[in-house]
Amino acid sequence: MRINLLRTSAFRHVVGYGVIFTLGVSALLGAIYLLTESVLTNDTDAVISAELDGLTDEYNRGGLSQLNEELTYRADNWGRTGAVYLLVDANLNKEGGNLKAWPQGLPLERWVNFSLEARRSNDDITLHPVRASVMLLPEGHRLLVGTDVAQQRRFMATFRTATLWGIGLTALAGVLAGGWLSYRLSRRVQSVAEACDAIVGGDLGRRLTVSGWHDEFDALAQAVNSMVDRLAEKTQLLRATFDSAAHDLRAPLFRLRSRLEDVARSPGSGAALREGIDASLQELEHVQRTLTTLLQIAQAESGIAQSSAPVDLAKLASDMAELYEPAARERHLQLTVQAQPPCEVRGNRQLLAQVVANLVENSLKYVPPGGHIEVRAQRASSGSQLVVADNGPGIPAAERTHVLEPFVRLPAAAASTAGTGLGLSLVAAIARLHHAQLALEDNGPGLRVVLSFSSG
Amino acid sequence: MQLLLIEDDQEAAQFVLKGLRESGYRVDHAADGRDGLFRATEGAYDLIITDRMLPHLDGLQLVKFLREQGRRTPVLVLSALGTVDDRVLGLKSGGDDYLTKPFAFSELLARVEALLRRSSTAENAPPTRLRVADLEMDLLSRRVARAGRAIELTAREFKLLEFLLRHAGQVVTRTMLLEGVWDLQFDPQTNLIDVHMSRLRQAVDRGFARPLIHTVRGSGYVIRDENKSS
Repeated sequence: MRINLLRTSAFRHVVGYGVIFTLGVSALLGAIYLLTESVLTNDTDAVISAELDGLTDEYNRGGLSQLNEELTYRADNWGRTGAVYLLVDANLNKEGGNLKAWPQGLPLERWVNFSLEARRSNDDITLHPVRASVMLLPEGHRLLVGTDVAQQRRFMATFRTATLWGIGLTALAGVLAGGWLSYRLSRRVQSVAEACDAIVGGDLGRRLTVSGWHDEFDALAQAVNSMVDRLAEKTQLLRATFDSAAHDLRAPLFRLRSRLEDVARSPGSGAALREGIDASLQELEHVQRTLTTLLQIAQAESGIAQSSAPVDLAKLASDMAELYEPAARERHLQLTVQAQPPCEVRGNRQLLAQVVANLVENSLKYVPPGGHIEVRAQRASSGSQLVVADNGPGIPAAERTHVLEPFVRLPAAAASTAGTGLGLSLVAAIARLHHAQLALEDNGPGLRVVLSFSSG
Repeated sequence: MQLLLIEDDQEAAQFVLKGLRESGYRVDHAADGRDGLFRATEGAYDLIITDRMLPHLDGLQLVKFLREQGRRTPVLVLSALGTVDDRVLGLKSGGDDYLTKPFAFSELLARVEALLRRSSTAENAPPTRLRVADLEMDLLSRRVARAGRAIELTAREFKLLEFLLRHAGQVVTRTMLLEGVWDLQFDPQTNLIDVHMSRLRQAVDRGFARPLIHTVRGSGYVIRDENKSS
């Protein structure tokens, strides 16, 4: 499945956050802009008002002539940068100041804004915005005091541009981050999806890539990989089981068929017939046993929860040892039990009994006369353990995992005994069903099979 | 004794019918669950043998219906589902015994006889003494004596002998012994039960002219007084 970048959740999240962040930045910068502008304007107005007050005082003290004198003085000498003065009579004709004339169409209000044409030496004209206040003097004269605010305007314009750039860049960064993030995330999700598709398609050797960053994707990949490992293992096991089942069922079925055909063909004296039928029944029993065990393994492997209840391993060990003791003695083997109660686990008693039975029966088969078998239930630090140990020939270390697979019989054993070759695989399957660790160990000499249940 | 067999597999049904009739039982046959339930509620049967998976009505449902109607007729459930849990479910639904297909006919016969015997003795108070010929078992003092002479048995041998005595005169199979005495439902690959039986025989029959425990070829064991029966 292809993933559309614009539809990824990562992209939608980043765009969402980007919009919120951009709005926040705009509000902040806008507020700063408005505040700065208002501070600057108030400053200018305060200066103008103060000067106008001062000049009005001059007028009140010395009349029009002193005011005019003061204006000239200020304009020529120490006037503020960009200061503008104009004194006109009632007909708006200039009486003094540094402006040429009353600006055209200026409204007769207290506060006014207008533009001045400033002519530089090389003839280019620039327009200077002016902020000014006009005072009507008692004799009909008007006094205009203002400030050239060109610099201030330029400053605010720069500020405005910077603010807009800031907002724009923030939004752009948001979009880019969203795109990049969603690209990266979707690429990794895409690779997970592709690998899963391949696995579903039957490529059980395929695994997800682990980047090594130990991030959430690595955790996901590891979880999926271990799931696929188990799946591959099970599939492999199933395949092997089917193959071997086909073989191990076909062989006795063929023998059975041959026997029955033989019986059917023979002219039939009672004893020969009887013998043929008995042999056939035995063969049939072997087939049935193999099939039953296979089904048990399949059921245990499928992990279908069997009913479970507290099982006392100590009691189970004693019971099973007691059950097998006479059979062991008949084969000149010593079967002992070591069980320290309480040794309780949760599980299925019948299946756990089957485990002990299979292990003890293996020992009965392989341990030569005079040998010793021990069934043990014990508490270890990690939990309860069920142990069947013998001093027979044991299993070579290299073969130990191998023998847990279905239908494997060690060459030495294959010829002599009529086992189904499924005993240990059933033990392994039941162990897994109980979440118990199964270990085949060297008993020096002999084999020790340890089933460790995790406590709790 | 009137038996009802509910089984949809015609061939298997004919085989079981023939065997049971040869053993002296009168047996009716129903080929599906609905017919089976009808016959079971109409007729007076001493035992019902039912397959588990039947057309129209599942065998376990059938048993449940019967039990809800208050019928205590013993039921033996046959099934191709043989896991531990299937068995538990079969017994929980009201079945009295559970036998997994495929089975030997002798196994079926032994279980049929055990169930019929159980239902006929159920009304009586549980016995405190069991006896066959000159062998006596006192269940209260847990003592066993033959011809007045005390016999020492281990706890397990006692249970084994008790099981045989409770089924005196009937064949008990190795599987029944493993279930009844050890409460185990697996199929051992070794001759476990035979070894235990031979030890019990040593204790019970050795030194006596008339053996009481007999091996039934191809089936199992029976404890009985041969002189009386023949």
